[in-house]
Amino acid sequence: MVIPLISLILLCPLAAFAIFGLLGLAKRSFPRQDYLSTAAMLIALVCSLLLLQEVVPDPEPHTVKWLSLGSVTFSMGFYLDSVTAIMLIVVTLVSSLVHIFSMGYMHGDPRYPRFFAFLSLFSFSMLFLVVSDNLLGIYIGWELVGLCSYLLIGFWFEKDSAANACKKAFLTTRVGDVGMFIGMMMLFTKFDTLSLYGETGIFSLAAAQLNTADMVWLSVAGVLIFCGAVGKSAQVPLHTWLPDAMEGPTPVSALIHAATMVAAGVYLTARMFPILTETSSLVIAYVGGITALVAATIAIVRFDIKRVLAYSTVSQLGYMMLGIGAGSYVAGLFHLTTHAFFKALLFLGSGSVIHAFHAMHGHGHDDDHGHDDDHGHEHEHGDHDAHGHDHGEDHDSEHVLGSEIPPDQDMRNMGGLRHKMPITFITMLIATLSISGVPFVFSGFWSKDAILGGVLGRAMEWNSVHHYLLFGMALFAAGLTAFYMFRLIFMTFFGEPRNQEMHNMAHESPKSMTVPLLILAALSFPVVNTLWFNADYVKPPEQAHLHAPEHAYVSPDSKVGEAGLTFSLFGISEAVAAEEGGQDTHGAHGDDGHHGHGPAHTIAMVLSIIVAGLGILLSWLFYHRRTLSAESVANSFRPIYNLFWHKYYFDEFYDGVLVALTVWKARLFAQFDGTIVDGIVNGVGKGTRDILAVFVGVFDNRIVDGLVNRVAEVTWSIGGRVRRIQTGAIQTYLFVVLAGIVLLILIFRAL
Amino acid sequence: MTLQHYLVISAILFTLGIFAVLTRRNAISILMGIELILNSCNLNFAAFSRFMTPPEDISGQIIAIFGIVLAAAEAAVFLAIILAIYREFGSIRPNEVDTLKG
Repeated sequence: MVIPLISLILLCPLAAFAIFGLLGLAKRSFPRQDYLSTAAMLIALVCSLLLLQEVVPDPEPHTVKWLSLGSVTFSMGFYLDSVTAIMLIVVTLVSSLVHIFSMGYMHGDPRYPRFFAFLSLFSFSMLFLVVSDNLLGIYIGWELVGLCSYLLIGFWFEKDSAANACKKAFLTTRVGDVGMFIGMMMLFTKFDTLSLYGETGIFSLAAAQLNTADMVWLSVAGVLIFCGAVGKSAQVPLHTWLPDAMEGPTPVSALIHAATMVAAGVYLTARMFPILTETSSLVIAYVGGITALVAATIAIVRFDIKRVLAYSTVSQLGYMMLGIGAGSYVAGLFHLTTHAFFKALLFLGSGSVIHAFHAMHGHGHDDDHGHDDDHGHEHEHGDHDAHGHDHGEDHDSEHVLGSEIPPDQDMRNMGGLRHKMPITFITMLIATLSISGVPFVFSGFWSKDAILGGVLGRAMEWNSVHHYLLFGMALFAAGLTAFYMFRLIFMTFFGEPRNQEMHNMAHESPKSMTVPLLILAALSFPVVNTLWFNADYVKPPEQAHLHAPEHAYVSPDSKVGEAGLTFSLFGISEAVAAEEGGQDTHGAHGDDGHHGHGPAHTIAMVLSIIVAGLGILLSWLFYHRRTLSAESVANSFRPIYNLFWHKYYFDEFYDGVLVALTVWKARLFAQFDGTIVDGIVNGVGKGTRDILAVFVGVFDNRIVDGLVNRVAEVTWSIGGRVRRIQTGAIQTYLFVVLAGIVLLILIFRAL
Repeated sequence: MTLQHYLVISAILFTLGIFAVLTRRNAISILMGIELILNSCNLNFAAFSRFMTPPEDISGQIIAIFGIVLAAAEAAVFLAIILAIYREFGSIRPNEVDTLKG
């Protein structure tokens, strides 16, 4: 049943896209492309749910030979383990809900069918990436989702900002992909295969063949492959594209740039888990930790509701990377799952808010897209007006940053919306509670705590300064997360309306939009936890090349699940214990090393509850009670505030250094082209014209023309003579005829 | 009267006709030459029919009658053309009707 189900999952969205594409050749479109695409996703969702039953503990990949080049054979195939199955459900579920949501949100867009076709193509690519059993297949899906991301960010390509954002996203992720490709090639040269699983897969070969001398090489390969994930999952320093990607329609932000595609990087890193070494793990953990902290600090000063969520996404992706880098395979993927649901919910909720304001703008014209266009022009004008007098750097940087906020996304225009949009408010509040790590009843708490506990556990177990530092960063970021998320909620839904005109027109969104919100809100409660905490179901792969440092703290037998009590609240204590126990049986670092997890989880849990509470409290004081003034704090820490406001000057750095360097290099090459290459070409041209052409010209004029002219003259003179025979006198002709007959008679007589 | 007598007469008529067609300047005279040629042919048909086939086979003589009819029709068309030419050019001499001559 596995193969038919997976095939169906892949083929349904592909067919929905293909129908659009084939009809497109005939310059028509299917009138209900939205129903077609949504139906395809729902079928895929049902199949994914059925697949849950098919997962076996040690699956074999289902492969076929795809391409034989000389002695090398590339195969394509599916690999279905529990992680794949859960990812399939996450992708198809979020995708289905986003499809349904889009029917309301994108209603009236002139390219409405195309939007759904692109969503279908994206879903296919993402699912293909998830089920592939080899790096080549993953790479194909990887680039395809990149393409879809490009198409959908630039969906409203009339807007300059959207057109620029999609190019930026494409090029930035490409930088990481180069690293990933080199990493793949390193593995390929070593093992002659790109398959990951099975006896001839990279993982088995790596476990069997590599020794300590290969560790540097393997670390480099691991980090290079991780580069691809850095690009795709918007980790520092390649994170700048993701906030700009918010120029795309909001459902796209929810599906691609929050829930699924950006998580592909985490998924890839998790897939590479068995070949990570200490070094590459540490690099991954640091990149993740730094990303989590940097993005969270940027998020606290944003005013654009979608950008807050974008930085929040970057930050949470950092968490996942940190979890995987710190060896908490399950925790990282668990957070991926919970994050997919609550972040998709937050984005769709923000879409609902934006839609409410849209409708106000669209009072005169029903066409959603039309006034989106208007917005584009509006901020362009606004930009010019505001910065018309500024010259030089300031103007440029403002433009590059894309910090002109559309009025319908500016939280400073919102406030008090909870009465106007009760469903949106409640669902978004649930997601916010989840992402902030409010204890016990929300899924986000469990997954974030799993990561924090995993990092602290690794720190205690290895007695590693790095991991203590990373734990501190993650903990601080967790507090910031609670702070900026509640800032968003307070600014948007609480308080007095700041823009009365916009507030009056705001209204709750239609059912097609609120129903997905409600479903996602239900999923923000810990309903998927049991899957992840079941050690028989999700088994972290063995890390054959990861060794605990020698100074690792070896505790005496301390296998006491202090966290057991709290976990038992949701009947998962045994599962957690089983997970920890399960890791022991195959843990490369021996039995003793692992037991730090128990107390670590308790400590991490307590600390994370404290920081989350602190973050929420501060947010409440700043943005609801207003006993503290954000402005005065910003003023007293002006340099830090500026650093956050300018997003650590990453964009300025890239524009000032990389882009400028590239442009300078391009100019240099242009100059080289203009003077030297053109000079050679023109010189050759001139030489040809002045020397060779003269000879050829003479030859042409004298010999070729002469021949032609002679032939013509001869023909002319013969013609002149022959024409005299034709007198026009009939009697002459008749005489000739008679003479001819007489002649013929004489000839025949003679014969 | 043998076949030879007829053939000689026919040959004389034919030669006279050819001579007229080749030498006369007037289109009417040329027509008369053509008529002589036709009639020499008719004479031949009749003569051969009379002397060379069984008496009950008179097909050669019938062809001669067809030839006479043909000559009459042809003369009518010819004269009509000559009349049209005369109206156009004011002459019925073929060598003066030379608009197509290069």
